[in-house]
Amino acid sequence: MTARAGDAPPRGSPAVIRESLQGKYAGFASRFTAFAVDVGVSLGVFLLALAAVSFAARVLTGRDISWNKGDIWVIIAYAVWAFIYFAYSWAASGRTAGMALFGVRVVRDDGTHASARRAVVRTLALPLSFLFLGLGFAGILLGDRRRALHDVIAGTAVIYSWDARAARLRFLSRG
Amino acid sequence: MGSNTDLVDPFERQRLADGRLVTRREALTQAVTERAVELVMSAVDVNALLDQVDLNAVLDQVDMNRVLDRIDLDRLLARVDLNDIVQSLDVDALIQQTDLGAVIAASSSGAAADVLDVVRSQAVGLDEFIARWIARLRRRSYTGPPGPPGRPRAEAAS
Repeated sequence: MTARAGDAPPRGSPAVIRESLQGKYAGFASRFTAFAVDVGVSLGVFLLALAAVSFAARVLTGRDISWNKGDIWVIIAYAVWAFIYFAYSWAASGRTAGMALFGVRVVRDDGTHASARRAVVRTLALPLSFLFLGLGFAGILLGDRRRALHDVIAGTAVIYSWDARAARLRFLSRG
Repeated sequence: MGSNTDLVDPFERQRLADGRLVTRREALTQAVTERAVELVMSAVDVNALLDQVDLNAVLDQVDMNRVLDRIDLDRLLARVDLNDIVQSLDVDALIQQTDLGAVIAASSSGAAADVLDVVRSQAVGLDEFIARWIARLRRRSYTGPPGPPGRPRAEAAS
């Protein structure tokens, strides 16, 4: 259920309670917190994988492997893993774990499903948004379509995929 | 000094006879009454009689509040031995017949969905707060976020 375009949400309220924003461009807070969750998840999984590799090496060879965070191979391994994590998630379902948690998803700039190619381009362009003190993210705050630099490059946008009205009905049916 | 006939009650024999008669009469009356009631009861169709009674109308006339007011619940409950009742319950059998897993899963998923809704609501509220302030700084009116022209399919329960 989607709210009509141009409808003004009530001032000073978490608008979702009264109106679904599903299909509208997602805002900065939702996107930033979703990204923070994704960084945490990807980093946590990566560290677990390193620990598993260390354990396996100790069992098999009897030698301890110590990982240095500044080791170039660890950085490259994490970069590859992060690329796979984000690109696969966006290509498969348009959302990562953090985005699923916060009810947002990546779509093409016309609102249709983003292809795998766009997901890959978006992932590769993501680091560019961090350049110049994260200037590439300013578009989310200032642009009418709330697109960051990597969105513009990949031809994508991020929208709310969460139906607040349905959530409220679920809540009322349980009450 | 009186004669011997003064000691004899002339009506004594009659009273004795009357007493026996009264006893017989009472027994006869009782037997007749019992037989009559028996005959009447066998002749009456109780089911048909009950069918004619409008129980709803009767209950409408009963003031339940007044009835309940007259019941001393404290006194009633004081006479109930709850410990005895609880001890008589076979809790193990009760638990075995209850699908506790399904109950816990249902309540857990409901609670998780509630938490998710709250988290998302807070994030969207913050989005709108930031967007309104940005619009105010840029001296623009804010009428909510627009959306892309095409819409993806709605998600059922995300």
